Amino acid sequence: MKLTHLVVAASLFGSTALVANSAAADVKVGLLGGISGPIAAMAPPMIDAAKLAFAQVNEQGGVLGGQKIVTVVGDSACNPQNGVDAASKLVNVEQVTALVGPHCSGPVIAVANSVAAPAGVALITPSGTSPEITGLDDKGTVYRTVPSDDYQGRALARTLVAQGTKNVAVAYLNNDYGSGLAGAFKAEFETQGGKISGYAAHEEGKASYRTNLAELSRGGADTLVIFDYGDGSGLTILRQALENGFFTNFVGGDGMKSDAPIKELGAENLTTFVASSPMGEASSSLDSFNKAFTAAGGSADAIFVANSYDAAFVLALAIEKAGGDKAKVPAAISAVSDGKGEAVAAGEWKKAVELIKAGKEIDYKGAAGDLNFDANGDVPGAYGLFSIDGESFKLQTPMN
Amino acid sequence: MTLLELMNFYVIPGLVLGSIYAVGAVGITLVFGILRFAHLAHGDLATFGAFAALAVVTASGISPWAALPIAMALCALIAIGIDKVFYDYLTDRPKIITVMASLGIALMLRAVIQVIWGVDTETYSRGLVRPENYWGLRLRDREIFTMLAMFAIVGVLWVFLQKTKWGKAMRAMSDNPDLALLSGVDNRRTTMLTWAIVGALCAASGFFLGLNTELKALMGWTMLLPMFAAAILGGVGRVEGAVLGGLVVGVAEELSVLVLPSEYKAAMAFVILLLILLVRPTGLLKGKLL
Repeated sequence: MKLTHLVVAASLFGSTALVANSAAADVKVGLLGGISGPIAAMAPPMIDAAKLAFAQVNEQGGVLGGQKIVTVVGDSACNPQNGVDAASKLVNVEQVTALVGPHCSGPVIAVANSVAAPAGVALITPSGTSPEITGLDDKGTVYRTVPSDDYQGRALARTLVAQGTKNVAVAYLNNDYGSGLAGAFKAEFETQGGKISGYAAHEEGKASYRTNLAELSRGGADTLVIFDYGDGSGLTILRQALENGFFTNFVGGDGMKSDAPIKELGAENLTTFVASSPMGEASSSLDSFNKAFTAAGGSADAIFVANSYDAAFVLALAIEKAGGDKAKVPAAISAVSDGKGEAVAAGEWKKAVELIKAGKEIDYKGAAGDLNFDANGDVPGAYGLFSIDGESFKLQTPMN
Repeated sequence: MTLLELMNFYVIPGLVLGSIYAVGAVGITLVFGILRFAHLAHGDLATFGAFAALAVVTASGISPWAALPIAMALCALIAIGIDKVFYDYLTDRPKIITVMASLGIALMLRAVIQVIWGVDTETYSRGLVRPENYWGLRLRDREIFTMLAMFAIVGVLWVFLQKTKWGKAMRAMSDNPDLALLSGVDNRRTTMLTWAIVGALCAASGFFLGLNTELKALMGWTMLLPMFAAAILGGVGRVEGAVLGGLVVGVAEELSVLVLPSEYKAAMAFVILLLILLVRPTGLLKGKLL
């Protein structure tokens, strides 16, 4: 009995000593994600990918001459209130240097307005795609490693019209993600001469969307475009539309490219379902990320993992460049990936540190794309239309 | 729009949804009437019941319907346990403290569900079930069973409350706990029995919701407001009122799409709750005044 007490006491003492040692020379970074809530199934691989980037940094010598990057995870639950609560805690209590996340557009906007911009703390979201984020008055603190949905919506509209789909109904989730994407899609689809015969928002978490679907199908379209999450109400809508035969063809945005529909509805029932999604362009960065992430036990095909990795890696570069000064990190983010300077690929931390030390400009080429932030903190991107082949999504056609 | 379309796409989904609300609302109305507080953990207890049934289905491969009684029994035990550990301790304090405690229980239950079953969306059986055609009415088997099971469960409960000794004790406690105590009603055992029934009802409502849609960690929480609206609409403490309230709220939510933009569908429960509190606070069937 005494021995166990002694062991417990010793280990407690040991762990406090560890904490005290590491706290003296650590750079804290907040990882804010939709860990619970509608994208709960997507969030863990994204968090893991961001952690992988920081682990590589720490393995290759750390930041600012040997300091380790320590991550603190916060849960935004994919809604603005939780996002702001979690972000305030990370920024004010944990005193993080910068934030990776939140994942969903709603919390990104709320956190940018009420936490990141007032505190001057940098925020990089790997998956907040709403067009609203572009125009935020964020004092240059907000960046994203994923292209705006304005582009995705328009590219999807052009691709559908080019494939001969001229009459569609649109069901979108009533939040910043859904309405932003749907708005961009609608504008372009109508410009291209297509007809939108039903256009309606819905709330998440309802048990039945059959009435919504009945209203949408009254316009006579046989294609339903769903801008929602495949783990949330998007799945319910897809199921009820299929079961009741309201529509024959289904098109989803990137949120619908989730494994849940395949797992729950069965691939054999989803032959007429396609989803658009950001598409990684082949590059050495993407290869090295895929290899490292697979080796770490992750699935490189999961959505937004490359974007999450990039967000974390570019942030580490910016912290190094800013010399650890919190206030200089936001400006440093665009400086380390603006298309000018010597190219640095994913995982090449040592090389980047040497270049920064030598006072040279660097240009991070990310796994999800070259990044190259514009004045609004946005990046250009490539999209593809994916269909289901076997038990997973396969690229059907690139969109432009 | 033809009458059949109205029935198939608006009224029938409304009735199925209403049946699910009704089973949950009966539980809420019992806690409200007998123990006199708003039980905010009701939705998450329902989620727990739904996932407990899923665990039985995946572990033994039996039909979800056979798993329902097991889940109901398990949830009844959990409800009794929660009462013993948390609510019982707060009985003599102002009721608002118990209400807040139940919010904490809701968060704890949800966390437990997420730890045990994860956050992925699940279903009892994979694939699609297309509806059968009954003289133009399109119904799935599970929808018919959901409505029938709701009436069966509530019917048994009603007979129990009206005819048996323990049912009468519960009603007596609902009318006046002190008087019931003086007349020899064992308040502690009646409370325990109430929680057992409430837990079982929770499991049933979560199971029906999961059967008709999908199982998610937040499924019960999002149902809480319509269930409360249904309980208050029917009259607090009135079992048959909760059934009526549930059906009205379900059908009203679905029919609202005909006149309102669909994003306001979720607000229907709020509107009904506000109207009934303004116009007839005792509810349709003259329940207790809160």
